[in-house]
Amino acid sequence: MRRLLEKGKRLPEQSEANTKVPVTFYIPGPLRVFCGGSQRVQIHSSPATLSEAFEDLYKQCPGIRDRLVNEEGQLRDHINIFVGNEDVRYTGDFSTPLRSGAEISILPAVSGG
Amino acid sequence: MLGELLDHYRVVSKVGEGGMGVVYRAQDEVLHRDVAIKVLSSRSVADKSAKEFLLEEARAASALSHPNVCTVHQVGEVRGEPYIVMEFIQGKPLSTLIGKDGLPVESVLRYGVQIAGALAHSHGRNTVHRDLKSSNVMVTPEGLVKVLDFGLARRIRIVDDAAQTIDSPEITGGTTNASSGGVTGTLPYMPPEVLRGEEADFRSDIWALGVVLYEAASGQLPFRGRTSFEVSSAIFHELPPPLPAWIPSGLWGIVQRCLSKEPQHRYQRASEVQAALEAVQSASVVGAAISSEPRGPLTIVHRGIRHLTVKDGDVLLLVGTMKGAFLLRASTTRSQWQVAGPYFHGHAVYSLAYDSRNDRHRLWASTSSFWGTFLRFSSDFGKTWTNPIDANVKFPEDCGASLKNIWQVCLGRDTEPDTMYCGVEPAALFMSHDAGLTWTLVRGLFNHPHRPRWKPGNGGLCLHTIVLDPANRERMYIAISAGGVYKTEDGGNTWEARNHGIQVAFQPDRNPEFGQCVHKMVLHPARPERLFLQHHWGLYRSDDFANSWKSISNGVPSDFGFAMITHPRDPDCVYILPIESDEFRCTPEGRLRVYRTRNAGASWEPLSRGLPQKGAYKTILRDAMVADSLEPAGIYFGTRSGELFASIDEGKNWKMILSGLPSIVCVKSVIVGEPSVARNSKSPVSPQRHAPPSRKRKAPARTKRGKH
Repeated sequence: MRRLLEKGKRLPEQSEANTKVPVTFYIPGPLRVFCGGSQRVQIHSSPATLSEAFEDLYKQCPGIRDRLVNEEGQLRDHINIFVGNEDVRYTGDFSTPLRSGAEISILPAVSGG
Repeated sequence: MLGELLDHYRVVSKVGEGGMGVVYRAQDEVLHRDVAIKVLSSRSVADKSAKEFLLEEARAASALSHPNVCTVHQVGEVRGEPYIVMEFIQGKPLSTLIGKDGLPVESVLRYGVQIAGALAHSHGRNTVHRDLKSSNVMVTPEGLVKVLDFGLARRIRIVDDAAQTIDSPEITGGTTNASSGGVTGTLPYMPPEVLRGEEADFRSDIWALGVVLYEAASGQLPFRGRTSFEVSSAIFHELPPPLPAWIPSGLWGIVQRCLSKEPQHRYQRASEVQAALEAVQSASVVGAAISSEPRGPLTIVHRGIRHLTVKDGDVLLLVGTMKGAFLLRASTTRSQWQVAGPYFHGHAVYSLAYDSRNDRHRLWASTSSFWGTFLRFSSDFGKTWTNPIDANVKFPEDCGASLKNIWQVCLGRDTEPDTMYCGVEPAALFMSHDAGLTWTLVRGLFNHPHRPRWKPGNGGLCLHTIVLDPANRERMYIAISAGGVYKTEDGGNTWEARNHGIQVAFQPDRNPEFGQCVHKMVLHPARPERLFLQHHWGLYRSDDFANSWKSISNGVPSDFGFAMITHPRDPDCVYILPIESDEFRCTPEGRLRVYRTRNAGASWEPLSRGLPQKGAYKTILRDAMVADSLEPAGIYFGTRSGELFASIDEGKNWKMILSGLPSIVCVKSVIVGEPSVARNSKSPVSPQRHAPPSRKRKAPARTKRGKH
């Protein structure tokens, strides 16, 4: 995880937005079965928000949606989404704006029993 | 016909023949171009419907103008017979390009996007193709796709968003493999609803597109069989086998969604399929440590554990724990147990079931984890399990509720072999009529006016018990913690609280109409009017279909508890496992004792030989006790501290058969190959099933892989 987040520090700056660097999802192990085994999936459609990026991810890897959100569209309790190093629960949830080259990590929370 | 001039088209050569028409290559002597001419075959000339078909095809296709749809130039008539002049396509049918291992993924996507584009165009003009298949798709040497043969196409007039009205005469028979008599199309490409005789709509084309994509990706049809019956059966009941590992999961997901049995679960528009295929096409999946998993995402393969080898007559115990499921197998002597698992590593498995109806051998499991709750089944006794793309049990959007857990999977009666029920948290009942492939919420219960006042028990607000009246298909009971017992007499449309006589200790009104915290309720099929009930405090019996209850807490050390089962044959015999109190949810006095009544609750006797009687502070949950159907009956229970105990003499002697498991939530018993008896000790037991299984196993042992 640390390695993934350190990669986030090398995000392109805002001035590079027009170059349309793809948005990258980091996929946790249990969900990779829906992405051909890949740990990273790139989105080329220049999504403006996290919600748009997820819609594209769901099209590419349809099994992911119901594992991340419940019937009411809410992120499951013990799943965290980060854009770069920021937990999106503090940046607008699925409305979080994305810039070109954003890196999105899906991570299970530290909880359990 | 060869050399003949039809209008200004000179027929040059015959290029093909379909079920109804013959296709010729011809030269347009005015525009100097090649065209294709379709005329009725000689055997169809006298068939009026064939003529109508041909004209219908021409009308349908001429309404379309799209680079991936074969263009119709003109309709003519020769000697009173109609013919169609079409674009001549130099290429090959897709069906002939697909090798035994399918096409390269790039080609599947490239052709798939174009076929979906053609359908999107046709659907946009309210035209359903109705006979899409790989032999109706031509591919030019440049890779351009042309969809042919709108011979079965039908215009649909959109009346409003919610309703569609057919605006053309009924068309029966077909140019293809379709049988006549109202069903049109080609069998391996036909969706379940069309096979049922319902009208094809846009979603039927989307199903057929899914079949074509599957075929192109794998070289195989998704639904196979030696006879039409077998193919139809597969279409109705089977899931398509997973595509090979090299197929991107995104494409596999699209195919699966196209092949959803229920039209409403498919893509609703071909344009959506086109967009999804384009997304996969443009996807740059990087860092691709491609999974070595030989199966697609639909299937979970459990590796690194020793699986069970199972034969008819074997006894299985299905054990659900907070961290996965375990399977145990023994012969009918029940002396040695082979253990397999954990399955669903780390997932809570609250419910397990075995469905042997209709020659199935399905183990069902509800699994719950960070990543949601899913129902899965295995048809090979645990080696592989389904892994649904979309959650199969979910609340409709308008409910404002989200699934937390599935507490109970319950098979329908033997007279309704494709019916299943499941009870969930938050308290609701779901029902399936296709053996668990699709599920719907039972609205009659969900909309009950009492629902806002149901309160969660310690485990959550759950519907944990479903009891079917074996003789009356309209009558069933459910139990909710804490809502109480509800009964329907009309198959689930309406429900009434049935708690009269069950006292509560946790509110001032001791006799409320509802709100009881029922822990378990059981019924013996030989006495369908009688039910037994373990309450939060209190043991009860009803002799009048749950209309009233009376206490039977006669001589037990505590009438608090969870687990309760009936004997497989004796309707007066019930087993419970008393727990000290709701504050101290452990066996009383540190002694692990099963209690049994053999007179319907008039008195209870302890059964403890072989069970720990000192320092044994155990908790046994509501579904963690079960009986098998053998003679004498085996009784089994699991504890929250991970021990599994068994008695093979109806409770006289006990033995711990396994320890060290995670916290045990449920235990179910199975006699492999036996219907009803195997899955549920509460089910009707016919006399011949009482015979010792050793005498029943004359038939050749069935293979461990059963039919789905």
